[in-house]
Amino acid sequence: MNKLKLNSSSITFLPIIVFIPIAYELFINFHIGGIELFKEFIISALNPKINNEIIFTLVKRLNETIFIAFFSWLISIIFGVIFGILSSEIFYKILNLPIFLKRFLNLFLTFIRSIHEIIWGLILMQIYGLNFSIGIIAICIPYVAINAKVFSEQIENINLKTIESIKQINGIKSSTLITLVWTPVIETFKNFGLYRLECAIRSTAVLGLFGVGGIGTSIFLSFQTLNFRELWTYLWGLAILIIISKELLKNFNLSNISKKFLNSFVIALFSISIFSLSYFVYYIFNKNEIPFISINNLLISNFNFISYDFLKLLFETIVLYLLSTGIAISFPPIFILILNNKIGITIIRLISFLFRLIPPPVLILILLMFNDPSISLAAITLGLHNAAITSKLLLANLHNQDNKQYIALKSLGAAKRSSWLFGLFVKQANSYLAYCAYRSDIIIRETAILGVIGSVGLGWQLQESLSSFAWEEVLVILIAYSSIAIIGELINGKIKSNLT
Amino acid sequence: MINPLLELKEVSYKNKNDFTLNKVSLRIKSGEKIALIGKSGAGKTTLISILNGTLKPNKGIVKLFGTEFDKLNLYQKSKISTIWQDLRLIEDLSAEQNVNCGLLGKQSFLFAFKNLLNISSFNKAHQYMKVCHLKKSIFSKNIRKISGGQKQRLAIARALIQESDILLADEPFNNLDPKLTSYFKNLLLITKNKTKIKVPNTTLISLHRLDLLDGFNRIIGMKNGEILFDIEKTKLKKYHLNEIY
Repeated sequence: MNKLKLNSSSITFLPIIVFIPIAYELFINFHIGGIELFKEFIISALNPKINNEIIFTLVKRLNETIFIAFFSWLISIIFGVIFGILSSEIFYKILNLPIFLKRFLNLFLTFIRSIHEIIWGLILMQIYGLNFSIGIIAICIPYVAINAKVFSEQIENINLKTIESIKQINGIKSSTLITLVWTPVIETFKNFGLYRLECAIRSTAVLGLFGVGGIGTSIFLSFQTLNFRELWTYLWGLAILIIISKELLKNFNLSNISKKFLNSFVIALFSISIFSLSYFVYYIFNKNEIPFISINNLLISNFNFISYDFLKLLFETIVLYLLSTGIAISFPPIFILILNNKIGITIIRLISFLFRLIPPPVLILILLMFNDPSISLAAITLGLHNAAITSKLLLANLHNQDNKQYIALKSLGAAKRSSWLFGLFVKQANSYLAYCAYRSDIIIRETAILGVIGSVGLGWQLQESLSSFAWEEVLVILIAYSSIAIIGELINGKIKSNLT
Repeated sequence: MINPLLELKEVSYKNKNDFTLNKVSLRIKSGEKIALIGKSGAGKTTLISILNGTLKPNKGIVKLFGTEFDKLNLYQKSKISTIWQDLRLIEDLSAEQNVNCGLLGKQSFLFAFKNLLNISSFNKAHQYMKVCHLKKSIFSKNIRKISGGQKQRLAIARALIQESDILLADEPFNNLDPKLTSYFKNLLLITKNKTKIKVPNTTLISLHRLDLLDGFNRIIGMKNGEILFDIEKTKLKKYHLNEIY
């Protein structure tokens, strides 16, 4: 009997087996109680509410979203650059500083990166209450660390010999450092920084669902009152904002802009960010002093681990992550393989667009209309949301790929699906899997959001502990989340380096 | 006795397993024009890297102006300029920005910042680039888009603009045609300096081409990480060359 040989293509399809336990659990938890509501939800998508009042609210909420997203993007990019430089080896080489400082900083950044902005948002809201600043700070905390990692990786790529040659000129250390890191920083900003603005808009929308403000808050309030027509007005508004921002960024061709302008732009961003940060620091430390007292309770904690089933929640979170990742990896290629024609591709594009547009917390609330809360429900929500993102990338890469082999296989009489699989997909499998490994880092962090809404895993316990101001429990949960994320990141890093 | 500008005492450098320099001693005095010759792998590049402070020797002492290298301040260290065999220019910066990098040792942080923003009003780089036969049309070009010969001349311009006292050059005439080779040899050895720029009057140049030895006043031959001979140019005989090749 032939043994199954594992290669990039088979590894891409294998995780589909996660659908078996998911389908089973979803089937036994299925009920028809919310079918009517679901029908209304679908119909409302084509019939959103449009009147003066709602358009006014939509514009106001979109303005808030843009404000929060833009400032959190701006601050996180600038501080991402600063921390990226501080966490790169070149900084310690040029300034002759002990390398343990870099390791300490990296550990700190890994910790704050591993915790989702929603969790930061929930914690800050519990301490400081609802306001714009919380949204910006909550997004900035993990985003600064994520951006720092990307900038630092690019700075580390500077040729060692170039470093030596500039060091040998023996200029003042700050001049040497800025001369060496300038180009990788600017290039990374061009290739990665602008894309982060779109991420910030999405994060703002999701944070809004938890009450921070912006379009997300309106979406959530509409959902709570089951006003689906109003809900779709806001969702379409968000879609338009994302599409416009994407198109603007796409056409914002940095290579056509003079270097002088770009450089002035960077300086302006830096100045605004410093000003903004000082404002927020002032705001926090001058208006909200009392809640910090409750954090001091940590030192006199009487927290009991056995008071709730901590290990079970931890296990649930890991299972949720594995199931969602399985769906995100294998769903897009299998869907394209099965429906390999123009209509099929159009359908997957449409589904992908909708699942990216509707924030996962709203998606799970929709699915809860005809299913009980469970890990499978949370997994299918998170999995499909991420599958929408991986499918977008896969479709784009397949579209840009040379199709000579596909044509050659078809001309040999191979079936359309076989030709697609061996002529097109095989070439993409490696890079697709590498991207999925990166995506799974994000999925680990996102399990928190689904946990909070879908009553599974540590996310649920976090919500409970936050509501009861049990800061010692919150700290344990944060450490648990962070540990899972860091271990996952290490494993995914190994996978990525093997694949690329 | 005149104090040497640069001095190595019993310097050894071990690279992973092998000695690439073994107990090398050397004194370089002001005004000397030294040619460093030897086969590939003889230790010439390692010696240059130790002389400019890029590599730290495992054993021995390196002194500049009579002071140990580690005890020198940045200003004193900037008295040495280097032309690297692999040029080591900064990719993605323009030709002019790369040449301006040579001034980092003498200028403030603001200059470095202005240079990166491309708003430097300093014309010194233009002067040095013109002397190095670089046309105005390439001043603002990204160095990825210029030829190997132009990059070589940029590396020379970057080293010269430092206006150092000592120039260390590792195969500086690579990628240059015979006419330019002759021009730059004369420029670096100040045999025919008709330009207004300051050229270091102490030079150590690593060479492979023996036909370029004219104009030097001292020849150092290296083999297997050791100095086999260190003699005046006039005393160089064929058997010296046979020893190292």
